[in-house]
Amino acid sequence: MNLQRSGQPSLSWKQLAPWIIPALFILLWFVVSRAGWIPPYLMPGPSDIVMAGRDYLFGQAGSGPYAGRFLDDAGTSLVRVGLGFFLAALAGIPLGILSGRVPLARKLVSSSINALRAVPGICWLPLALVWFGIGVKTTVFLVALAAFFPIYLNAAAGARQINPIWYQSGAMMGVSYGRGVYAILLPASMPSIMTGLRLGLGIAWAYLVLGELTGVPNGLGAVIMDARMLGRIDIIVVGIIIIAVMGRLSDLILKGVLTACFKSARRMP
Amino acid sequence: MISSPKPATRSPERAAPLLSVQGLTKTFQVGDKRQTVLDNISFAAAAGEFICILGPSGCGKSTLLKIIAGFLRSDSGEIRERGRPVGKPGPDRCVVFQEDALFPWLTVEENIGFGLKKLVRNRKARKEEVRRFLELVGLGSYGRYLPREISSGMKQRVALARVLILKPQLLLMDEPFGALDAQTREEMQDLLLDLWRRLSHTILFVTHDISEAVALADRVLVMGRGPGHIRCEVTVTLERPRKKETDDFHQFYRHMRDQLREP
Repeated sequence: MNLQRSGQPSLSWKQLAPWIIPALFILLWFVVSRAGWIPPYLMPGPSDIVMAGRDYLFGQAGSGPYAGRFLDDAGTSLVRVGLGFFLAALAGIPLGILSGRVPLARKLVSSSINALRAVPGICWLPLALVWFGIGVKTTVFLVALAAFFPIYLNAAAGARQINPIWYQSGAMMGVSYGRGVYAILLPASMPSIMTGLRLGLGIAWAYLVLGELTGVPNGLGAVIMDARMLGRIDIIVVGIIIIAVMGRLSDLILKGVLTACFKSARRMP
Repeated sequence: MISSPKPATRSPERAAPLLSVQGLTKTFQVGDKRQTVLDNISFAAAAGEFICILGPSGCGKSTLLKIIAGFLRSDSGEIRERGRPVGKPGPDRCVVFQEDALFPWLTVEENIGFGLKKLVRNRKARKEEVRRFLELVGLGSYGRYLPREISSGMKQRVALARVLILKPQLLLMDEPFGALDAQTREEMQDLLLDLWRRLSHTILFVTHDISEAVALADRVLVMGRGPGHIRCEVTVTLERPRKKETDDFHQFYRHMRDQLREP
């Protein structure tokens, strides 16, 4: 069907609305830092942040303590998030679908998983440090563990709530068990699986920072922690902004990849 | 119609009716009581026959259809298709449901071709067949649409096409036009009769609408409630196409209405 867009060439209030609060905030920040109401060692002004950011992102490596480290840190963190998230999806989707469809599997695993879920993720940090030491493994472990729960829970809910009439339709059209899983079960639960993956990826970023706060030499979380000890508030703020942007971008990419690969992610509301 | 003229030379499969239901009984557990919903249902359908099962809501007519389709099990009784007992659901007994049962993540074309994938391996041949059935149900230009982009009447056309394409011997229809407006319902009835004449499959059509039963069926099984049973059979001898305004039509209508009302 052709959807007709209401043609509005000029910017309307609706389009501007989301930017009003950030703009006011930055303006206020400017005023406060110019007036000197908050000392720079607590909150540097916006222009300092921009300078620090430029230095961190594009500076010549070695020209300053944080200059040009961005690619290295972001790359390291991306690998950790990616690996942890991948492991969480690898375990969470099949297990979720299984416990959503097979009552025995649900009885077997769901109460245990819910008990584990009640444990705050941060509690695993000491244990992970003992098991895996300081480094990639601890971070990946924490990320995978935290991202697993929303992925599992949403896959289970999606698989459980499938309209039974779709199975009956499949059965009467002579669909085999294997094709039923592939051609009915998976697409029918795809909207829920996608929700779980996106929630999981958001949590993965949060736990990345947690895992990197423990003294690893590089990564975005490590930079923030390091900057705190050196009193570089500007770098902390730069790190926060970069993590926020990368989190948002990775969500968009995940959504894009899923909708490109799966009809059901594209076509179901 | 059921008995063949030369029984000795025919194989038993040919001589058997397309569908025979013998002494079918079904109970459901309601709270701590067992309630009988179908009590000793027996009937037979000859190949190519159009049978309507007419009854008030709650008489178990949909349950009966679900048992024949293989979605539910009966407590006792026997269902045979060409003499062979039927079991699991399969493309020999296809169902058109009242509610929207299309896959929302597939286009109209993909929905119609869904069951054909296993039967016709060749992609091009499959595509042509899908096209043919798309035309047959009058949706020639809607192949690329998604179910949510078309009306409920069109969805039922797709639901019809996706099962007819499998060439089922028996088409089971569970109030398929019940959710449609009056005008669309009549269009769909005409379409169904037209397809039935061309493809000559056997139809078992469940409805609570008396005039729908008179308009469509060769034979109507009138069911009663509590527990569900077959009250009587009415053979509708009207010529097709049937006009709803004629006296003969009304005579059948009144007869069935009285049968339904009888205490």
